[in-house]
Amino acid sequence: MRKKLSEMLYGEEGMVTSIEDELKNKVAGMGIRVGKKLKMFTRQPIKGPVVVEVDGANTSLGLGIADKIMVEVEK
Amino acid sequence: MKILLMGNPNVGKSVFFNRLTGANVIESNYPGTTVDYTKGYMRIEGEDVEIIDVPGAFSLEPKDKAEEVAAKMLRENRDATVVCVIDASKVERGLYLALEIMEEGYPLVIALNMWDVAEDKNIQIDVARLKEILGVPVVHTVAISGEGFRELVSKIKETVPVEMDKIIKRAGGEA
Amino acid sequence: MKLNVDERWNLIEKISKKTVTFGKYQHTLKDAVGELTVKPLTGIPIAVAILYGFWSIFGSFAGTLCTDGFFVKIFDGHFLPFMQKVFTGLPKWLYYIFVGDPLADNCFEAFGVLTSGLFLAIGVVLPAIFIFYLMLALLEDIGYMPRLAVLIDTVLHKIGLHGYAIVPTILGLGCNVPAVTATRILETRKQRFIAMTIMAIFIPCGAQLGIMEEVIPDTIGLVLLYLITGYFIFGFILNKMLPGRSPEILIDVPPYQMPTRRNVVRKLRMRITSFFKVAIPFVLLGCALVNVLYLAGVIEWLGNVLAPVFIGWFGVPKETVGPLIAAFLRKDLAVAQLSAIEMTKYQMIMAVVLVSIYFPCVATFAMMLREGWRELLGALATLVVTVFLYGGLMHLIGIVLGVA
Repeated sequence: MRKKLSEMLYGEEGMVTSIEDELKNKVAGMGIRVGKKLKMFTRQPIKGPVVVEVDGANTSLGLGIADKIMVEVEK
Repeated sequence: MKILLMGNPNVGKSVFFNRLTGANVIESNYPGTTVDYTKGYMRIEGEDVEIIDVPGAFSLEPKDKAEEVAAKMLRENRDATVVCVIDASKVERGLYLALEIMEEGYPLVIALNMWDVAEDKNIQIDVARLKEILGVPVVHTVAISGEGFRELVSKIKETVPVEMDKIIKRAGGEA
Repeated sequence: MKLNVDERWNLIEKISKKTVTFGKYQHTLKDAVGELTVKPLTGIPIAVAILYGFWSIFGSFAGTLCTDGFFVKIFDGHFLPFMQKVFTGLPKWLYYIFVGDPLADNCFEAFGVLTSGLFLAIGVVLPAIFIFYLMLALLEDIGYMPRLAVLIDTVLHKIGLHGYAIVPTILGLGCNVPAVTATRILETRKQRFIAMTIMAIFIPCGAQLGIMEEVIPDTIGLVLLYLITGYFIFGFILNKMLPGRSPEILIDVPPYQMPTRRNVVRKLRMRITSFFKVAIPFVLLGCALVNVLYLAGVIEWLGNVLAPVFIGWFGVPKETVGPLIAAFLRKDLAVAQLSAIEMTKYQMIMAVVLVSIYFPCVATFAMMLREGWRELLGALATLVVTVFLYGGLMHLIGIVLGVA
């Protein structure tokens, strides 16, 4: 199932299918790129940021940033 | 000769810098704020060489002013040799920055730091193979204990810039 | 030859496939702690506990143990009487500047350059700054700060910043000077301006906190509450008023690490020396300047001229003008001076808040100029408006509540 990274549930895993162009370069250095598997690590309440796990590293992204990344969730 | 110490944030770069320079730090603007640089001297083959601890960055395309400082310092030191510190348990992310620096034509030495952490995580890296593909010296280090530092220092003068297409060829095919 | 993002990642994956093998990863205790401290349900209570612990240790180590338990005894019991005796032969005005009040029996009230000046710098500020930076270095080197940033992001988002702004803010609780530079971790000019301005206005530095713990231990909580409230109110307003973008948080959350002694010691040593290179000359200079202005009658004259504003608008005695002049050089010095003025508890709270929000100290000022003169001018304009609005508002609340 395809959804926004911001919509992933706690513990869910998925593969990045697209990233909006303006964001691509910004997140590339942190290992987030199309085709990469990532896992939702935590979500903060009240529209707070998410923390995802990529290649064993944790990265925190604001919800607005996570809105611009699409993932294919397994199952 | 001038050396720039670069790497992602949180790869143990400041411990690394402290070990390379010993007590020879001459100028420092509030270390630990991660946005200003620290300068010092290290000894290579009996010669004192200037080394700059560049703020941590994930990429040369800056997303904040600290990364901007890093990119700018690289541009302003065209003749520098770069020591790129990579967290051995997160090699790919570190290579991203290392490749960016190499693309700009800088001679580079890679330090696979926190080697012990990578071992704990059962991550194995074929250092010889990596060295062969990249065409630059690759040394595994543990900054906290000092492991690998003698070897690292001995390689700094050896390294030369490498063309990307050669790396692509050695890695097997088109990029 | 240069690659684009996709080409670069393709290449890295090829290299990685040939050289790196990932074995089975076992979760460790460190990972478990890492999770607990960033998940909201457990992370927020832990963060509160850590910050509370930080504050308690700060107060008990600096205030109770070092200052009261040691330095006050040395300075008041031996150093002050000694200085008063040795310099008896000096001309009166010189004596006043360097030793201060000949009848004073403690270093808070004497106010000479060599008595109170040295006492404040060494006896009060040094222990405060030492313990503050030690604890901060530990939190930083362990890797806790990014987690705190994630937890507090939602709140700071409301004032146009994001969670990572907590790093310069906490650093500012030690000293605003390096914290101004640290605002560079924020992405846009708008964010840096907001962070810098409200920090310079509302975040008291470690030296000032140390003195406050010492001279107004009962009301320091209330003063801090006023300052924190102001921080958010004016941050909120600035965010609404200013053009520009406020990008969201995008940071690495590293695993926990054992701090190395070498690194902590080195960081601590450098921060403390940088701090004192600025602090000691300014404390001594500030002491001297204020004493000279007193002797020349300037302070009394200014006090009389400004009395209506002070008494009517801010609800503080006119003598506050002296400390306010000192506050431009050093806030810690100014608070110490306030403690020597006769006033009610309410006036004291108002005066301490006023000293805090009025003008950043000159060193912070210089750092802000380094970030750009337009930033500095903007910050100053904000500051003037803030001081009058917020100071007046607080006094109004005081009047309405009947405590003024």
